[in-house]
This record gives sequence, structure tokens and C-alpha cells, in this order.
Amino acid sequence: MRAFVVAVFAFLYLPIALVVLFSFNAGHHASEFTGFSAQWYGKALSNPFLVEALKNSLFIATTSALLAAFCGTAAALGLQRVGTRTRALFDALLGAAIVVPGVVIGISTLVALVQLFAVVNPFLASLWPTDQPPRLSLGYGSIIAAHGLFSMALVTMIVGTRLSSLDRNLVEASSDLYATPLTTFRSIVLPQIMPAIIAGFLLAFTFSFDDFIIAFFVAGAQTTLPIYVFASIRRGVTPEINAIATIVLCASVLLVLLAQWQLGRRKPSP
Amino acid sequence: MPKSYRDGLPITPDKFIDQLMRLKRGSISRRDFLGLTGLGVATAVMARELGIMPTPAYAAENLGDRMSIATWPNYHDPQTFENFKAETGVAVEVNVFGSNEEMLAKLQAGGSGWSLFVPTNYTISTYKKLGIIEPLDMAKLTNFDGKSEDARFTAEGTIDGTIYAVPKNWGTTGFAVNTKKLAKPMSSWKEFWDTAMAEADGRTMVHDYQLTTIGNALKYYGYSFNSLKQDELAKAEELLLKVKPHLFAVSSDYQPAMRAGDAWMTMCWTNDGAQLHRDIPEIAYVLGKEGGEIWTDFYAIPKDAPNKPAGYALLNYLMNPKVAVKEHLANGAPSTDARVNALLPKEVLDNPILYPAADLLKPLEFGAAATLTDPGRAELMARFKSA
Amino acid sequence: MPAGSQPAFSMRRSLFRKNLVTALLLAPAAVWLVVFLVLPFVAIAIFSVGERAPEGGYQAALTLAQYANLPARATAFWNTMVLAPAGALACLLVAYPVAYYLALRAPQRWRLILLALIVIPFWTSLLMRTYAWMYILGGRGIPALLAYVGIEDLRLINTPGAVLLGIVYGYLPLMILPIYVSLERLDRRLLEASADLGATPLSTFLSVTLRLSLPGVMTGFSLVMILLLGEYLIPTLLGGGKVFFIGNALVDLFLQSRNWPFGSAIAITLVLVSVVVLIVANRISTRLSGARRVDLI
Repeated sequence: MRAFVVAVFAFLYLPIALVVLFSFNAGHHASEFTGFSAQWYGKALSNPFLVEALKNSLFIATTSALLAAFCGTAAALGLQRVGTRTRALFDALLGAAIVVPGVVIGISTLVALVQLFAVVNPFLASLWPTDQPPRLSLGYGSIIAAHGLFSMALVTMIVGTRLSSLDRNLVEASSDLYATPLTTFRSIVLPQIMPAIIAGFLLAFTFSFDDFIIAFFVAGAQTTLPIYVFASIRRGVTPEINAIATIVLCASVLLVLLAQWQLGRRKPSP
Repeated sequence: MPKSYRDGLPITPDKFIDQLMRLKRGSISRRDFLGLTGLGVATAVMARELGIMPTPAYAAENLGDRMSIATWPNYHDPQTFENFKAETGVAVEVNVFGSNEEMLAKLQAGGSGWSLFVPTNYTISTYKKLGIIEPLDMAKLTNFDGKSEDARFTAEGTIDGTIYAVPKNWGTTGFAVNTKKLAKPMSSWKEFWDTAMAEADGRTMVHDYQLTTIGNALKYYGYSFNSLKQDELAKAEELLLKVKPHLFAVSSDYQPAMRAGDAWMTMCWTNDGAQLHRDIPEIAYVLGKEGGEIWTDFYAIPKDAPNKPAGYALLNYLMNPKVAVKEHLANGAPSTDARVNALLPKEVLDNPILYPAADLLKPLEFGAAATLTDPGRAELMARFKSA
Repeated sequence: MPAGSQPAFSMRRSLFRKNLVTALLLAPAAVWLVVFLVLPFVAIAIFSVGERAPEGGYQAALTLAQYANLPARATAFWNTMVLAPAGALACLLVAYPVAYYLALRAPQRWRLILLALIVIPFWTSLLMRTYAWMYILGGRGIPALLAYVGIEDLRLINTPGAVLLGIVYGYLPLMILPIYVSLERLDRRLLEASADLGATPLSTFLSVTLRLSLPGVMTGFSLVMILLLGEYLIPTLLGGGKVFFIGNALVDLFLQSRNWPFGSAIAITLVLVSVVVLIVANRISTRLSGARRVDLI
């Protein structure tokens, strides 16, 4: 069994090793290794499109994950206070947001937004006093919203599960001691659901950062890192892409280590 | 009259460019676009353009610092865009597409983000009809000379006297064969399809492009490349479905697979055929004797181009014969411009891949506009791919 | 004002405030769900009874022609319905031993590190990793190595096998994690008890370990299955446009043939199929493991 596990890990890391190896390729293509060089790291970081795609991806992933964490937590709290019928309706919608395949989310959002803009833009133009009315179009907003939909549903479910296993007695004790609901929330509920919120945020960030298919449809003229990588695969990958992928990998491993170290410091034994 | 950015340029002394770049380095600070987010493309583009101080070399028009072009696989000399960036400060992002339908779909959905793209001759009338391309402002294209263009290839860029697109190069659609793997001589589409199901089983590629894939299947039966007749298309579909399980891939970017030896035979455009043969002599380019496609690719500017000044600047740059000649040497397809041909070396002008014999050229057809939007052909192609 | 109504009024006020807070808490999520889930769904539902415009796109109509045309994508549906469960199953077969080892056999101090190693691949773009597979399976990768030992002209890329491999590779962590969680929660005393009662290791595994990890298995399986039903990238990159999933057919209809109504009809069908698959998975898992529901997380 040990051998099998080792083999699986090798299987998981072989492509990653290749990605990293080719980032040090001296040659022009990511398909033939011709010698070691770190030149592509410099080239990658001075390629405005690649850097912008990376920045866009970071921005979109952070924003959509923050929004999802906030709205999702609020929804999970709200759902504790409603009747079964409202709850069932919400559960169904949240479930749908998770189950509907990404490709359908992307396409249907595109279809809906294109129609919506076709109505709203002329309307805005007719109301606007100057010649330059604001025009709604696909871009950051639509990607964030489409990514956030799935993430929010995810956060609501994770936080909801956590809330339902929350110790009711503590909450009641707190209000018996005349704590305001807000104080009770801050000092009793929030600390207990915080790990779930953080987990939800991280999942949401990861999902958004790596998503291709939804962004592919609703990005308009914006580029995210996966969209850029996909386009590069079509036009022939240069080791620049490998370099960026390696940088992202190293940054995330560092973050994981940092988080572990922080957690370890706070409570010595897990 | 708007001044071209080139008007201010002295006759390309390197020193001047160095100085220009130094100046620019000071003026183009890395603005944080993230602060402007959430307001959509238009704002971002506007802010991008406003943020840049006009430099003396092209004070008349603000080119911004980046633009995006939609084109075909392996179609340009990457150095061209590097040089353009060095001269103007505009970085060019190259997006690659495998069919005109894909470009059309992207433009129809809006927000393509392209400031220049490369449509094929037969699509231009549809783009004009749908109102998604610009009538070109020829005053900005001082390097273009209509008189030096070969009229056989360039007519479709002009509609009712208005120029909507200017030609890049022409070419043919044949097939490439790795003669080391497939030694038997081939000269027809019939042989192409038959071999795909026999010796080249699992090693043949066809375009992810209805016009050529369906068109060349029609040629198997000797029908017109552009046929829209139901019974003829039904025969073509029958052939395509029969061949499908034997294919290596359905893709318009066949160079990587041909170079790696994964594919042995592929439907192929002149430029790719010339590039493959140049690098790997055993790969031959064959025109089907039944006929097939002859085409001209054009440059056009989308109506919703986010950076039209840069689109025009790049187009004008590409129309400079000295630049175009390097493009043609890299790309491999024959030029429509006599000024470029005058600069090309003799062995290029004698290359039979670029300039096939007259009897091979004669049966070739230009794509017909109706094939682009015909629902029957679109659905046939989609059925073939999903089969 | 009669004195008696004071508490009632205040109660009503506090009830009102309570409802207001609830509404405020739910409002952002509700707006989000309506604008970006319900509205788009309504839009494609309307599109799916429309017609393709002459130049492509959508034209208003009221027809079921698009749904009648669904059999034209039968192969894509079939591929998806075969390769999605096959992929999930292959994933499960690889994932289970790994999860088992991590949860029950691996030394305690290694466990977290190994778990992190499972998650880290998620942080490199799936596209890049799949591209690496294109290289490994392509002519310059494994086939070139095999040519050295005399096995010529082997073709790996653009085959259903390559797609399956890509699927297992891409979704393995998603399968390992839920199984790991359910195995980790397993009460070890049960295993000891089983052994004490004379059960063989195999029957202990079958009757205790496997049984109790079923919720995790079902969670992982349905999660991977659902994601696979809408898969686009892996068949595109490793299948060469030859192994077509319904997701590919869908993208094709929007980005090439520009038949938005038919694409919408397929999208609606795909959603319905996904829901049915999830319900069936729920049923099975409920039957298998008593009353536990399949949670997607």
C-alpha cells in the first residue's frame, strides 16, 4: 500500500515538476528543453498582459471570495431565523448554485447579461445629460458575480453546518446575562464559526483563481490568468507561462507554510 | 487631417528610439488598474489611455500602451510585435483562432477586446452587414497602396466603394503529409480521405473549421467546395462521420502535432505548409487536384475596438513593405502587394508551395459568403465534432 | 394611550426589528441568487424555445424544435454519461487506498504534511498541469521514450484513455479529501472490537471500515460526477476535439455554430440531468448508510 501511495504522489507531482523544470528552459518553447536559464522569469514579469492577467485573477478571486464570505455568512445566520418554507426555498437555490455546471453558469450569465445590457444601456443613454453615458459591459463585475455565486452558496452551507452544531446553551446563557444580541454574536457565535468562514473564503478564493470556463464566457475583454494560459496553449506556450505558474505555486506553498506556522504558534497541540 | 505617428519619426535611427523609450519609461508609471475596477471595460480602457502622457513622437494621437489582435495560428513573426512595441510603446497581445466562425461568435457576443483582427475574404460582407467592423480611415493608413495590390485577391475588402479591410496575404488550402510515414504519392482529396481511414488511421487531422473541413469532404465527391445543397451536404456528412473515428484530432493548430510526429497528415494552409516544409523537409504540401479553397486574409478593425488608434498604428506598420516582407518570410504565405514581392528573395517567389502551378490553381474556389452563416453547414460541423 | 398596550407595542416592535435583521441578513444572498442564478436560468429557458437568427445568435420564437433536435447530440450525452461515472469510479479506486493510508496508517506527524501535499496541486493552475500532460502523452513524451526501447508509433494523446487519465489526475484530491475525513472520524475501537471478535482483516475492512466510510465515498463520488458532467477543459486539451463531452458540445454551439437556442436547450437538459444524478446519488447513499444525506461539502 505504501508503494501505491508513493506512486500516486509521483503521479500528482510529475506534471508539476515538468511545469517547474520548463520554467528554467533556455529555449523558446515549452515543448523542447534546450538548457537552463532563468530568463523567462524576467520576461514573464515584464510581459504586461501576463502581469495584468495575474493581477486581475488575484483581484477577482479576492473580491469574489470576500463578498461570498460576507454574504454567505449573513445568509447562514439569517437562515437560522426563518421558517421552514423560506429555508427550503433558499436551500434549493443554494443547492442549484452548487450543482449547476460551470459551463452552464458561464453561458447563461452571458446570455442574460447581454440581453440586460441591450435594454439598460440605451435607457441609461437616454437619461444621461452628456454625450458620454456610462455603459454597462462584461468585465470584472460579471466575473466576480458569477464566481461569487458558487462561492457564496458554498460558504452558506459550510457556515450553516457549523451554526447548527453550535452550542445553544452558550447563546442562551449569554442572553440570560443581559448581553445584547450583537455582543452575543461577537463574543460567542463569531469565534465559533470563524474557522468555517475562513475555510469557505479559502475555498472560494481557490475556486475563483483557478476557474476557466465561467470567466471564459463572462470576462468580456478582461483576461484572467487561466484565460491567458488557455490562449497561450492555443498559440504555443512559451516558458513565461511556466514561470508564472511556478511563482504562483511557490507563493501558495509559502502561504500554506505560514498559515501552519501561525496556527502552530497559537495553539501548540492541534 | 490626423497625423500619423510615423510622421514625427526620423528615419529610424536607433538612438532616437532609445531616447523615446527612456522618455516613456518615465511617463508610463505602473498604474494600479485594480483601483479602477468594477466599472467595466470602457472605464478601464479610458483610464488607461488618459494616464499616459502623449510623447512627442506621436503627439497627434494617443496610442495607449497595449492592444490586442485576433489572428490565426503561427501567422506572424513574433519579432514584428516586439519591434512595434519598441517603436511605439504599445505591447500587442496575440489571440489565436481556428476559424472565422469563432471570430464572428466572439464579435457578435460583444466585448472581444480586439483592436485589429484577421478575417478571411468571404466573411467581410457579413461583418459589414452586421455592422461590427469599421469603414477604414485610409488617411491613417499611409503605408497602404491600393495600386500595388493584386486585384484578383483584394476585391472583397471593398464594399460599395468603401474599404472595410485591407489584404494581408493570400493562399490555398491543401494538405500536408509526412512522407517518411506515408510514402505513397497523393494528389487528391479522395486520396486524403481514403488514406485517413487506412494507412494514416489515427494520424490525420482536419480543421476545426466548417468551410474547409466540409468543403474538402464535398470535394471527395467532386461537388463544389461551397455547396449548400442538402443532398450534397448529406453525402459530405456521411463521409465525415465515417472518417471521424480514424482521426487524430479536429484542430486548426496542427503544426505542433505534425512537428512532434503525433500526426502524419493534416488539412493545411499554404503558410503552415511552407513553414513545416522549411523546417522539416519530409513534410510535403499537396493541393487536391479536384480543387478546394483559395483565400485572402485581410486586416479589419472591429467597431467596438477598445484601442482604435493603436489598431490603426499597427495596421499601418504592417502595411509598410519593409515590415511586411519579414512577416511574409516568417509566415510563408504569398503576398498580395507588388512592393513586398519586389523585396522577396527569388527562392521564395519560386516556391511551388506558395505559387502552385496554374492547372492546380484553376479549380480552386474562393469561399462564398453564404457558407459563413448557413445554419445547415454550422450544424453539420457541430454534429461531426460531437459524433 | 392605554397602559396595557405598551408591552404589546414593544413586542411588535422587537418582532419587526427581528424580521428586519433577518431580511437584511438574507437580502444580499437573495439578490445575488435571483440576479445571477434565477434570471440567467429564465433567460436560457426563454432562449431554448427560440430560433437561431439568420446570422447566428438568437431570434424570438415559440417552438420545441430545439428540444426535438437533442438526439443530434446523443453521442456527446452518451460520452458524458459513460465517461463521467467511469472517471469518478477510476478516481475512487485510486483515491481510496491513499485516503485509507493517510487516515489510518500514516504516522501522525506525517499526516498533515501528506494532506498538504494532496491539496497543493490545486494551487497550480489545472490548465498548466493538464498542458504538462499534453506534453507527457504527446509525441515528444512517453512515445519518444518508448521508441528507444523499440516500441514505435504509440499514440497516447487524443484518446479516451488520455481523457480518463486527465480526469483522474484533475479530480483526485477532491475524491481523497472527503474519504479521508470520513475515515479519520472512524472510531478505532470498532476496528479493534471487530478483530477481537475474530473477524479477518478483510471482513473487518468490508463490514466496518468500508461501511462507515461510505458517506465520504458518496460525497466524493457525487462531487466528482457533478463536476464531470459539465467538463470542458480536459476533453478539449487531452481529447483533441475528438472525445466530446456535452460541455464541449455546449461551448461549440455558442462559440462556433452560434446556435444560442439549441445551446440553451442543451444547457437546460444538462442541468436537469445533473439534478437527477444528484437525487439518485442521494437515494443510494441514504440506502447504503442509513440516514446520512450526501452533502456536497
